[in-house]
Parts: sequence; C-alpha cells; structure tokens
Amino acid sequence: MSLLTMILKMSEGLGKTCAIFFLTLLFSLPLGMLVALARMSRSRVLSAVTRFFITVLRGTPLMLQLLAVTYGPYYLFGAAVSRNKLIPVVVAFSINYAAYFAEIYRGGIESIPVGQYEAAQVLGYTRFQTFVRIILPQVIKRIMPSITNEVVTLVKDTSMAFTVSYQEMFTIGKQIANSQTSFMPFVVAGVFYYVFNALVDAAMGRIEKRLDYYK
Amino acid sequence: MNEPISAERGSTDSILCVRGLQKSFGSLRVLRDISLEVDKGNVVSIIGPSGSGKSTLLRCATFLEQADDGDILYDGRYALRGGVWAPRAELTQLRRRFGLVFQNFQLFPHYSVLKNITEAPILHGEDRDRVRERALALIAKMGLAGKENAYPYQLSGGQQQRVAIARALAMNPEILFFDEPTSALDPELTGEVLKVIRQLAEEKMTMVVVTHEMPFAKAVSNRVIFMADGVIVEQGDPLAVFDDPKEERTKQFLRVFER
Repeated sequence: MSLLTMILKMSEGLGKTCAIFFLTLLFSLPLGMLVALARMSRSRVLSAVTRFFITVLRGTPLMLQLLAVTYGPYYLFGAAVSRNKLIPVVVAFSINYAAYFAEIYRGGIESIPVGQYEAAQVLGYTRFQTFVRIILPQVIKRIMPSITNEVVTLVKDTSMAFTVSYQEMFTIGKQIANSQTSFMPFVVAGVFYYVFNALVDAAMGRIEKRLDYYK
Repeated sequence: MNEPISAERGSTDSILCVRGLQKSFGSLRVLRDISLEVDKGNVVSIIGPSGSGKSTLLRCATFLEQADDGDILYDGRYALRGGVWAPRAELTQLRRRFGLVFQNFQLFPHYSVLKNITEAPILHGEDRDRVRERALALIAKMGLAGKENAYPYQLSGGQQQRVAIARALAMNPEILFFDEPTSALDPELTGEVLKVIRQLAEEKMTMVVVTHEMPFAKAVSNRVIFMADGVIVEQGDPLAVFDDPKEERTKQFLRVFER
C-alpha cells in the first residue's frame, strides 16, 4: 500500500475524529459548569455526591469508561450494543471531560475575590446577574490556559475510540498497521494529531488574545 | 385600627438608624450594643483602632454581614429588626438607598470606567441614555474626563477609587458609606480622593466615613464617632472629640496621631 493510499484511507476517519472532538467540547464545556456548581453547592449531599463522581471519572482510565459506556448496557441489561458507536463514545468523552472542566471552573470561580460579589450585591445585581456578568467573564479569562491544555489533550485522546472499534482516523490507521505490518500509519497519525493541535493552539491563542484587553 | 400605614416603619426621621447592634465572630464580640443615627446632609466619621468593629458596623449596615441582634432602619423602614433581616424584596429596595465605597475599590476589571458606572442603574431599568449622561457628568466631576473608556488596570489607585465613588453615586443613593477609602492608596494619592469626598460634603451628601485620616475627619465631619473594642466610646462634635476628648481611651488613641 502506498503512503498516499494510506493517508487517503486514514483521512476518511478524520471526520469522525472531528465529530468526537467537537461534540465532546459542545457537551462537556457546559456540563462541566453544572458539575462545578453542584460541587460548590451549599447542599452537603449534592456536593459530596458530585465530588465522588469526579474522583471516579478522574481516577479511572478513560479507556475503561469508554468500554463501560459502550458495552455496559449489554452486560447489565442485555441491551443491544448500538451500531453507531459515536453516541457511546461522545457520551463517555463528555462525562470524562466534564469532570476535568468542572475542577478547572471551580478553581477559577474560587479565585475571584469575594469583594467582587459584595460590590455587585451592594449595587443591586441579582445573584444570577452577578455570576453571569461579573464573575464568569473573569473566570473564563483566568482559566483559558488550563482549558487549552485539556482541549489539546482531547485531540490526542480521540484515538482512544479504537478500543470500541469506532472507525475514526486512528482506528483505521491501527487496522492498516496490522494488515500491512507497517509502522507508517502511526507516523501518519502522529502528523495528523500534530497539525490538528497546531490549529487548536492557534485558535485558543486567538481567544486568549481577545480576552487580553484587561488585566 | 389607627396603626400607621405599615408596622414595618420605625419611629425615626434620620436616614440611617442603628439600634442595639450586636455581632460576634465566634467568641469574639465585635459589636456590642451599637446605636447611632445619621441625619440627612450630615457627615459622620468613624475612627478607632483596627479591630474596633468600624468596618463590621459598615458591613452590617450595608447587608454584607449578618448581625446577631439589633435594628437597622433606613428612612424609618426596617432592614433588620431584632437581628432578623426584612424579606428579600424589601432589602432589595432598601439597598437602593445607600452606596458603599470599598477600601480596595472593587471595580469590575473587565468593564470600562463607563460601564462600571452605568451597568447597575441600567439593570435597574433606568433609561440607557440618561444613565450614560449622568455617568459622564460624574466622571467629569471626579476629574476623570477622558477616562471613560479606560479599564481599571490602566488607572492609578486614586483614579480607581474615584471611579468607585462615581459608580456608587450613579445609583443616586441617599447615603454613602466609605470603608477606609484611602487605606489602600499610596500616600500621595490620598489627597485626590479626600478632595472628592470633601466636595460631596459641601454639597450636603449624607455620608458615613470609616477613616484613619484624622485631619480630614476633623475638617469634614459634623460628628465623629470613636469606636474601640466593639463599643462607641465617645462621639460628638469633631472639635470636641479631637481637641477635648473626655474618655481616657480616646485620648490614648489620638495621642498616637499627634506626632
């Protein structure tokens, strides 16, 4: 198999790689905020339960979580394994990344001085207005470097979908590598991820720059 | 039958009335039976050593701190009665009667000077253009004309504090509280902030100022309150308190400033 054929074949999986990436961000970024708020809740029970789930999601391999979400329903209830693996893959990724984002959000929210809340309160901002208008924008600016870190990791983590045979770029590459007994597909995959992340870096850099108008 | 309009009205004509305020942090009694009244157009300075409860008093009066017991009334309306807050809706209304200027300014760093000042009144449903006009006038009055689009980090501490004063004034409060407004400033910048407060005093703005600037307190206030260990030790005319203090504790405190 020529290098070009290899690249073309693997490119067919790039759409699915991107699907995992963008859908995971779409769901995990807001979900992480809900988890962070639950984690910081005044309700001890809610906070403790959330904390427990976060430790599970951060303390066990993503690969295991992928397998659990994809095949768990079959082993638990005898439910058919869905043919479209995108759904369980995105579900597993989103939950896993939400746990990480939640802790980043929490760190950011707790880093805002209490005086900002007090100033807003005295000026008659409601609690919701205070959070959305005063706190959240400052949090986003502060946590951007950490978020970039996670997003870059996510690009590479999409390769984990091979464990449930979801036909994204890396899974295809691995199949070619096996059938051709060649290391070349892994080199191609490495280049793909590198370029993908260069784009991610540039995009995140632009966002950070746009938030640079104040200190 | 012949009750006044609302039972929630107290019996005082002053803008702010505090009665029997008590506050403890654990076993530390920060406020012990504090009572004071502030009449319209008056400037009251609160002085005293750190830890005397001055700031806690302001924080209780501005609903930032829960008092354990006592009453707080604005225009005769109860905000706190026997250590219990009025319903949330009432507090929301009463909050509009006062403004607070913090020691550390607490401007919103992601907003321009103008937006820092205008957002709250606009959120309260005031007309955007009118608020903007008022804000620009306040900015000019604070000596900050041309700075309306600057961000807080681009301003000196003194300028930031003047923006904070403008932000509080934009809400049209009846009474303005200052919590050590110059304590976070470099010495050469305190003057410009004190000048603004002095100007407001001349315009008969009702103010309560917690301060360590003794000459300022003496010059500007109608009344000085000396607090120590959670009690009002002495209060009265500034000339009397500063030049002829009656209490030993007051004399002791003022002696430190004589040099």
